[in-house]
Amino acid sequence: MIATLLRGVLAGAILSGTLLLYATLGEVIVERAGIVNLGLEGILLIGASVAFAVASVSGSAYLGVVAAAVAGGITALLFGYLVVSRKANQLASGLALMFFGSGVSALVGKSYVGGVIAGLPKIRVPWLSGLSWVRSSTLFNWDILVYLTIPVALLAWWLLFRTRWGLGVRAVGENPAAAYASGRRPQLLQYQALFVGGLFGGAAGAHLSVSLTRTWNEGMTAGRGFIAIALVIFSKWHPIRAVVGALVFGGAEALQLQLQARGAQVSPFLLDMFPYLLTLAVLLAWGGARRAAAPAGLGRTFYGTE
Amino acid sequence: MKNLKLGVVPLVLMAIVCLFPAHAQDKPALIVGAIYIGSVNDYGYNRSMKDGLEEMKRNIPGLKLIEAENVPETAESERVMENMIQQGAKLIFPTSFGHMDFALNVARRHRDVFFYHPGGYKVEQNFGNFFGKTQTAWYPIGIAAGRMTKTNKLGFVVGQPIGYALGNVNAFQLGARSANPKVQTIVVVTNSWSDKAKEAAAANALLDQGCDVLAMHVDSPAVIIQAAEARGAMSIGFQSTEARRLAPKGWITGLGFTWGKFMTEVANSVINGTFKPGFVRQGIDEGMMAVAPFGPAVPPDVRKQVLEAVDKLAKGFNPFTGPIKDNEGIVRIKEGEVWGNDKMGNFDWYAEGIIGKAK
Repeated sequence: MIATLLRGVLAGAILSGTLLLYATLGEVIVERAGIVNLGLEGILLIGASVAFAVASVSGSAYLGVVAAAVAGGITALLFGYLVVSRKANQLASGLALMFFGSGVSALVGKSYVGGVIAGLPKIRVPWLSGLSWVRSSTLFNWDILVYLTIPVALLAWWLLFRTRWGLGVRAVGENPAAAYASGRRPQLLQYQALFVGGLFGGAAGAHLSVSLTRTWNEGMTAGRGFIAIALVIFSKWHPIRAVVGALVFGGAEALQLQLQARGAQVSPFLLDMFPYLLTLAVLLAWGGARRAAAPAGLGRTFYGTE
Repeated sequence: MKNLKLGVVPLVLMAIVCLFPAHAQDKPALIVGAIYIGSVNDYGYNRSMKDGLEEMKRNIPGLKLIEAENVPETAESERVMENMIQQGAKLIFPTSFGHMDFALNVARRHRDVFFYHPGGYKVEQNFGNFFGKTQTAWYPIGIAAGRMTKTNKLGFVVGQPIGYALGNVNAFQLGARSANPKVQTIVVVTNSWSDKAKEAAAANALLDQGCDVLAMHVDSPAVIIQAAEARGAMSIGFQSTEARRLAPKGWITGLGFTWGKFMTEVANSVINGTFKPGFVRQGIDEGMMAVAPFGPAVPPDVRKQVLEAVDKLAKGFNPFTGPIKDNEGIVRIKEGEVWGNDKMGNFDWYAEGIIGKAK
C-alpha cells in the first residue's frame, strides 16, 4: 500500500529531519557571516550530551534542551575566538572543534550512559492526530522542538533578511571590508552569528538525545553534522530552502528503512547508501549554479583593523 | 641561571614523590583484561559481558580485572590489548565480534597470554572461541512472540547481517511459525551494531508496517524497546535480561547471556595451567544463556509452551532440521540434514515467512 509507505516516509522524514534542520539553520547563519564551521558535528555532540546529562539530573527535558542550546552557543564562541580573534584557518579549526566536541561530550556524558529519562513529552494536535490516516503513526504527535521547526526557520529567515542585524551579518559574509567601511563591526557580528548558530546546533543535538532516542552514546550523531553542512549548500544558504533539504534527507533515511520493512528486494547495504547518494546527486545538480553562489567572503579571514 | 632554577622544580617534585614509597602490593591470582565495544551501561550486550566478568571476579578471590570501554573494532583495539598485557594481563576477553582479527594478531605476538573471543570462529593454541547457542535459543522466544502477536507481524531489527544474526532471525521465525502458522517476521537492517537514531527510525518503520512485537539483534535493545513501549507495542529483549525494566507493559520475554560460569572456568584454567582453546557453544541448559522473566501480559499457557520448548532443546532438539525452505522457496536444509553449531555462521538466507533480503 503506497499510502502506508508515504505515511511512514513522511513521519520518518519529520522526525529525522528536525535535528538536521536546526543544525542547518544554525550553519546557514554562520556561513552567511562568512565563516565555515566544519565543527558542527562537535557542537551537535556537545548539545546531545549536555541535554541528556541535564535532563537526567534535573528530571526536566526542557531544561536539558535550554542547557544544550547554551552549551552549543558557548562552544561556538570558543570557535569564534580561534577564527575571528586569532584569525586561525577556519577549516582546520573547524575540524579541531569536531574532535574537541567529540571528547568533551564523551566526558560529560560518561556518568549518564545507560540512564533512562522520560524525554521531551509528546504533544498531540487534537483534531489532526485523530484522522484515520494519521492515527496509528507518529504524525501530529510530536515534541515541542518538532512543532517549532517551521517557526524557527521563519525566524531565521526574518533575522537574516528583514532586520538590520541580518543585513550586517550578510554584508560581513559578502565583503567584510565594505561592511567595516559602512560603520559595522565585522568581528562583533561574526561572534553574534556564531553564538546564534551555536544555540541552534545545541538544540539540534538535544533533540537527538532527549527526544528521538532518549539515550546517550559516544559519537551518536554519526556524521549528521556533516550532512547538515552539505544541506546548507543544497539550500543555497537560505533558511526556507533548508526546510526542504532537511525533509529530503530525513525522508531518504526513513525511506530506506521503510523499504526494508516492506520487504523491498534490494540489498540492505545498497539501501543504506541511499541518503548519501541522494545528497551527492543533489549537490552535483545544484551545487555549481552561479545564481546559488556562496557568500563571497565565505571562509576568508578578515584582517582589517579592529 | 633561569634554566637551572627551572630544573630544580622537577627534582624537588621527584624527591617528594620518593618520600611516599609505593607499598608492596599483593600479587593478584590472575590479571584479566576485557575490552568492550561500547559502554557497560547499555542494558545489552556489554552489560551482560560486564555482569559475567564481575561474577568471575567474585568467584576467584585475588583476581584483578582491567577493563576498557568504547574500544572500536579497529587496529586501535590492538593498542589497548597490548597495554593490558604490559600491565600483566594473562587472560584477555575481547568482547565484541569485530575485535576478533585484532585480538588474533595480538595473540600471535604473545603466545603466553590467553584469549577467549565471543561470537567468532577462529581458534588457535592460545585463542579460543565461545558463545551462547543463540540460534537455537531464539526458537522458544519465537514461540512466545508468535503466540502474543495480534497482527501476525513480528518486527526484527538486525545490526549487522552476519550469518549468526540471520540464524537468530531464522530460529525466531521457525519458533513463531510452529506456534502460529500465519505469522510473518519483517527484518530491517541498520548496518551498525549501535546507531541509536537509526534503531529508533527502524523500530518506527516496523511499527508503521503493522508489527506489534519487536525483537532485535543489536548491542543494546534499549532504544527499540522504548520505541515499542511508547507506541503500545510488545517487545522481546536480547543480550541482557535487565532490558525488561524498560517496558513494564509490553515486555514478553527475552534472551540474556549469563557468561559468569564459563568465564570463571576459563580463568581457573589459566591459573591452573590447563587452558584449552576450543570452539565452545553453550545453551540455556549449560548455564550460558537464560530466558528472561516473562512480562505481566503473558498468559500461563504461553509460558508453559515456551518452557516446554526450552526443555526440548535441552534434550537435543535442533530447529534447523530439514527440510527447510528459504523465503524465495528454495530448499536450504535438505530432508534429513541438520545444521549444527559449526554451521551457525553460514546463514545467508531467511527462512519462509521472513520478509527481508539477506544480502
